[in-house]
Amino acid sequence: MNLPNYFLADLPPEAKLSPAMILEACQTLKRNRGRYLAARPTQSLVNFLSGLAESWRRREFPFRRFALENAGKAGFSRATLERGMDDFFVEFTRDKFEALLVQEFGGAGRLDGMSLAGAEKQPSRAALVRTPEFQVHFGAGNVPNPTLMSVVLGLLTRSAQFVKCASGSAFLPRLFAHSIYDADPKLGASLEIAEWPGGNLELENALFAEADCVTAAGGDETLDEIRKRLPLHVRFIGHGHRVSFGFVANGVLASAGSAEKIAARAADDVVAWNQLGCLSPHVIYVQSGAAVSPEAFAGMLAGELERRETSQPRGEISQEESAAIASRRAFYEVRAAHSPEATRHWCSQNSTAWTVVFEADSLFQLSCLNRFVYVKAVADLKTALESADAVREKVSTVGVAAPEEKIGDLAEQLARWGATRVCPLGRMQNPPLTWRHDGRPALGDLVTWTDWEK
Amino acid sequence: MNQALSDFAARLRALIAIGQPAIAKQQFAELALDLFALQFRSNSAYRKICRAQGATPGSVEHWTQIPIVPTSAFKELELSCIPPEERASVFHSSGTTTQKPSRHFHGVESLALYEASSWRWFLENVLPDLQFKRGAGGAAGSSPSGNPPPAIFLTPPPAQTPRSSLVYMLDVVRRRLGAPATAFVGKINADGAWELNYDALRAALAPGCQAADAPPLLLLGTAFSFVHLLDWLGEQNLAFKLPPGSRVMETGGYKNRSRAMSKMELHALIAARLGVPIVNIICEYGMSELSSQAYDGEKRNAEGGGRSFCFPPWAAARIISPETGREAADGQAGLIRVCDLANVFSVAAIQTEDLGIRRGAGFELVGRASPAEARGCSLMNA
Repeated sequence: MNLPNYFLADLPPEAKLSPAMILEACQTLKRNRGRYLAARPTQSLVNFLSGLAESWRRREFPFRRFALENAGKAGFSRATLERGMDDFFVEFTRDKFEALLVQEFGGAGRLDGMSLAGAEKQPSRAALVRTPEFQVHFGAGNVPNPTLMSVVLGLLTRSAQFVKCASGSAFLPRLFAHSIYDADPKLGASLEIAEWPGGNLELENALFAEADCVTAAGGDETLDEIRKRLPLHVRFIGHGHRVSFGFVANGVLASAGSAEKIAARAADDVVAWNQLGCLSPHVIYVQSGAAVSPEAFAGMLAGELERRETSQPRGEISQEESAAIASRRAFYEVRAAHSPEATRHWCSQNSTAWTVVFEADSLFQLSCLNRFVYVKAVADLKTALESADAVREKVSTVGVAAPEEKIGDLAEQLARWGATRVCPLGRMQNPPLTWRHDGRPALGDLVTWTDWEK
Repeated sequence: MNQALSDFAARLRALIAIGQPAIAKQQFAELALDLFALQFRSNSAYRKICRAQGATPGSVEHWTQIPIVPTSAFKELELSCIPPEERASVFHSSGTTTQKPSRHFHGVESLALYEASSWRWFLENVLPDLQFKRGAGGAAGSSPSGNPPPAIFLTPPPAQTPRSSLVYMLDVVRRRLGAPATAFVGKINADGAWELNYDALRAALAPGCQAADAPPLLLLGTAFSFVHLLDWLGEQNLAFKLPPGSRVMETGGYKNRSRAMSKMELHALIAARLGVPIVNIICEYGMSELSSQAYDGEKRNAEGGGRSFCFPPWAAARIISPETGREAADGQAGLIRVCDLANVFSVAAIQTEDLGIRRGAGFELVGRASPAEARGCSLMNA
């Protein structure tokens, strides 16, 4: 597939970007937005986005095929990328877009004109939701879906958009942008994709000077650096690194059969995007006291990860990542030799494809990822939360497997503790379109309301 | 003290004193197996690791099969053959303050061996043109003839950094060269970080750079201390021209103590601001868990194979593929494993978290296992 030379990211690697080029791109985007996007009805955008997502789910869709044929460029095996993209695009249906708009604004038409909705009818107040003219996204480097999601929400909110990808991570965003351009060149004309290593002040300052809203994903330091450099009127939405974990209640571990099913769901979460997303579990806490012990559960998870390696291999990773896994394994081998009752580990043979480390010690441990997961024994959720206290402020998702009658209680404990998302184990990397990222409104932070008190 | 280990240490010291050709490959292999048997017996923490792998002196046939210990294990276990009451000092790994450091315990004998190993290989690589006399008795090969160069050390003195193996090694060099204690021009600041005492540095550098017939100078420090030095020279708009024949030894990474720069960039700046040609800039590779160091010395550069680190004949590095655990193919990066016979009283077979590529008889340093901290939180307590 030959992609036309349309975005900055399409330029050959030797091409050097300049602040003047950035400025020109921004002005073009804004102009095109004014012409083609600003007045486009929400319904038309929803139709476009849901249609595009449907295309991406079709096997013969050229962009999908190209992405899968070059999955290594995205950093994943073909099967892992395919599964990740399918799970991602399945969310973009008309119904779900409507649900999102209702959740955020009380109605699907509130970006299109002054309208009344819900409780506002009582004091007789109408309102219009206004969206930023120009959004700048600084994409995360680890997984592609948050960047694609930003583009989708940016289109839905009718903004011109400039996506700055981290080094080496532009492949899928660029392909996605081309698919937009291919399906509707007018919409594609309001979108720009570029790639450079973060911290290029010349280029970034040129971009920030034009922006109305900047969204960014990255480490705390990166976000802080960006925020400090933004003009005061620019709205900033930063998503810092988050960690996630799983919790398996002993009520679902009464038999080997049911435990195996739970282990398969845990494997879904470890395997998805090679565990690289903020929503991927570092640790699976397993409550002891059932017929299947936490250690036995760890063994089941290892068996499941081994099977997945056949159906959905992890693929190649960098030497540094591979070395991190080998080093971590060597460490746990030492620990296991010294306390075999408290530490055990299971590893893929002749590769670093997957690793499970069981520890009786419940202290939360950051994984080195790429399918390296801890299983830790706990007496109850309270112990798990105490053990994870050091990451309390940083937890995004907790994937839970528990008997139906217990889940409500557990979810409430987790919410009060500070987790921003509780979901079934096995669904950790599949947040719905209506997901409130980091506990913030999905669209609400992007927009400005105009109230009209009649 | 364990007599068998003491005997082994004495034997190795004698071999080191004779110099490079004394330890042929075959002899290294035999010594390594002998030492493994001794350490298996004397180091209970290590023995447990070996037993868990089913490896015993009876089952290990070749030195490459000796069970390795990852450097991280030194954070958790006391991997020492020296009983607590005989431990004279301990070297800690540097690193982030949130992590437990590695601990490598030393006694009188292990320090003597550390000194013999470090000094011998330092001379061979950093000051190869100094002639050695084969003195009589135990002092064989231990001191250079002629005038040793004056030396400046860009680290704090050993009294301020008793846990640093690097500073210990530099102090060995200082003593052997007969340099005064004031040759250390670094200090520890209020945050515990290393910085330079610029007045002392200026006073130390100036005389050698002003006199026309000044002897060559030796300038040693960490990469980040050189960055501090270069930044200071830049701010002060100063440039020194060290006397002809002067040498620079730099070591270690940046560890967020200064801005990071590539080795080429650093060396080019050193050459420009201090007047030391790049061929006279030598890199050292060492760590608290080892008792020997590797250098990419000028001798090796002159051989035309590009810069590569070489350990002394009593230590051997292997490059291990992290994926397969087997020796990496030529040109492939892998984890650096070192079998250091000078680690008599701890564990000889160490696996580092550094990535290297084999280059001729040595290796090129190409990276490091990516730390978990890179993704935002620093939690790893292992």
